[in-house]
Amino acid sequence: MPMIPLLICDDSNMARKQLLRALPSDWDVSVTMATNGQEGVEAIRQGLGQVVLLDLTMPVMDGYQALAAVRAENLDAKIIVVSGDVQEEAVRRCMELGALAFLKKPAEPEELKQTLSRLGLLGVPATTPALIPAAAGARISLHDALREIVNVAMGRAAALLARVLGVFVQLPVPNVNMLEVGELHMALADAQSRDRLTAVCQGYIGDCIAGEALLLFHDSEIADMARLMQRDSDDYSDMEMLLDLSAILIGACLSGIAEQIDVEFSQGHPQVLGTRSGIDELIRINQQRWKKTLAVEISYSLEGHNIHFDLLMLFTEDSVELLSHKLAYLMS
Amino acid sequence: MDNIDIKELHWMLTITQNIDVGLVVLDRDYRVQLWNTFMENRTGVLPDKAANQSFFTLFPEVNQAWFSKKIESVVTLGTPAFTIWEQRPYLVRFKNLQPITGQEDFMYQNTTLFPLRSTNSEISHICLVIYDVTDVATNRHRLQAANNALQELSSTDRLTGLFNRGHWEEMLKNEYARHCRYDSQVSLVMFDIDHFKRVNDTYGHQMGDKVIQRVAEVTRQLARTADIAGRYGGEEFVVLLPDTDKAGAKIFAERLRLAIEAQEMSHEGHVIRCTISLGVADLAEQTPDYKTLIEWADQALYASKKNGRNQVSVHE
Repeated sequence: MPMIPLLICDDSNMARKQLLRALPSDWDVSVTMATNGQEGVEAIRQGLGQVVLLDLTMPVMDGYQALAAVRAENLDAKIIVVSGDVQEEAVRRCMELGALAFLKKPAEPEELKQTLSRLGLLGVPATTPALIPAAAGARISLHDALREIVNVAMGRAAALLARVLGVFVQLPVPNVNMLEVGELHMALADAQSRDRLTAVCQGYIGDCIAGEALLLFHDSEIADMARLMQRDSDDYSDMEMLLDLSAILIGACLSGIAEQIDVEFSQGHPQVLGTRSGIDELIRINQQRWKKTLAVEISYSLEGHNIHFDLLMLFTEDSVELLSHKLAYLMS
Repeated sequence: MDNIDIKELHWMLTITQNIDVGLVVLDRDYRVQLWNTFMENRTGVLPDKAANQSFFTLFPEVNQAWFSKKIESVVTLGTPAFTIWEQRPYLVRFKNLQPITGQEDFMYQNTTLFPLRSTNSEISHICLVIYDVTDVATNRHRLQAANNALQELSSTDRLTGLFNRGHWEEMLKNEYARHCRYDSQVSLVMFDIDHFKRVNDTYGHQMGDKVIQRVAEVTRQLARTADIAGRYGGEEFVVLLPDTDKAGAKIFAERLRLAIEAQEMSHEGHVIRCTISLGVADLAEQTPDYKTLIEWADQALYASKKNGRNQVSVHE
């Protein structure tokens, strides 16, 4: 039996590497890599993806679109989705679009092997090692590693949110940036100029890795959120609702990150900042102390509702090096 | 378990007992499983009495539906939950225990609820931590009071207690915006004290100040609560009358003129009287901005001056 053409389609270099490492060692495959859905579909057209491990959250063309394209062109590909977005609705949609299985990130070697075997895709054990493209050896940057960690963490947070609110959460690719305080200030000022904002801030620290989560709500959307949260008693104020939402999002995101880098974060008490109690004033005060901050930005939107949250995880300058040590095993 | 472990365990227990935060562990039926000294001291309930009692029996002030929902989310999501004093001043009501330094009736609290996993990693208990943040709340309240006082200082005129020009103009801008949006009526009475320079030159500045203060006082007495009175300049005053047209404002202006005319102030045996000239305008006609209303009232005021003072003119 000839070698199986395997396609790994994920925008994250680290995720592709993790998948490569998780492949059964005696699986007789030749591997092709793609960094978005468009490249992926192109590779499948060329016969390079008889078996496909497909991510969902990708730029240019996401996993859903890729699944739809494969189905529309009636291409012959056995697709297994490997995703950080673990909402039940996400799984349902993928299966409906023709995926054969759904694995949550990071994929466990044993689980992957069982899935492949269940689907009869393992073929005859190889006598020679799999063909792996040279590019796979390239070093993974801290940003890429962090983006992938956050991708998985935010997927879990979204799954919780989806369950609590009964909605489908649309997840974009998270932004990871080293920000100057000035840039952060500008971003906030820009967001504020369009709409009044309320922010919930919460500090966290674990193994000396510290930072603050900043969850931004648009005031004009708060009434819609209240409807979703099915607020029934007068006793339940807007502020409490925002705190409950942020407990879910910040808590789940932090524990998702913590688990992957093997740290326990403890969280401080949240603080609510209104536009009037000066979000930008706070940043101005901190300008002296913080020069640069590692910022992870995640935007959640709720499908079918005009509701968006922006979650910013800001790590202190000192935490960056500690964080890269923690991520080193993933980047090697 | 060897000796070291027991010693450490003993330490841990002592620390838990003596730490200055409230610690309560609840099982899934909200029954107390741990109750530290902080809780004992403030409730008078001994640990063995608290043990296995329902949290809601111990603290009837806690809203059961709300608290259970909070706990259930901690259990299902496995993430901690928080309450902060700005949102709920306290979870359980403890009286303030500091007769000297305490300024609030009760203890302000921040609380944390986090899941405790049993050996099979299931969440079997919840830990509640209660922090006393009364000092923080007291300071915040003081700061707010100070800010309010500052706000008032920066918006009023020191001599008369009326709004100063800057703040009054802000209020006019708001009224003008309201007028544009809802087509509400608003009129302006502008007036100044006749021959004020003569009072100053004859009786001195202190007397001049007294005259200004008296005029302000009479204005304040006659103005309705919704009216916005301010000192516009030296001896120049403004009163903004929301939901009033110029006919209504003219009645107010005439009453004010008569009241000022009737005032008598004494100074070193002399009886001093003063009069005012007034101008009235409203927003019945289209105006490009709020400043136009001031211009119109000012023109009417000028007409009163020119026609012999101590009278009301209306901008037509």
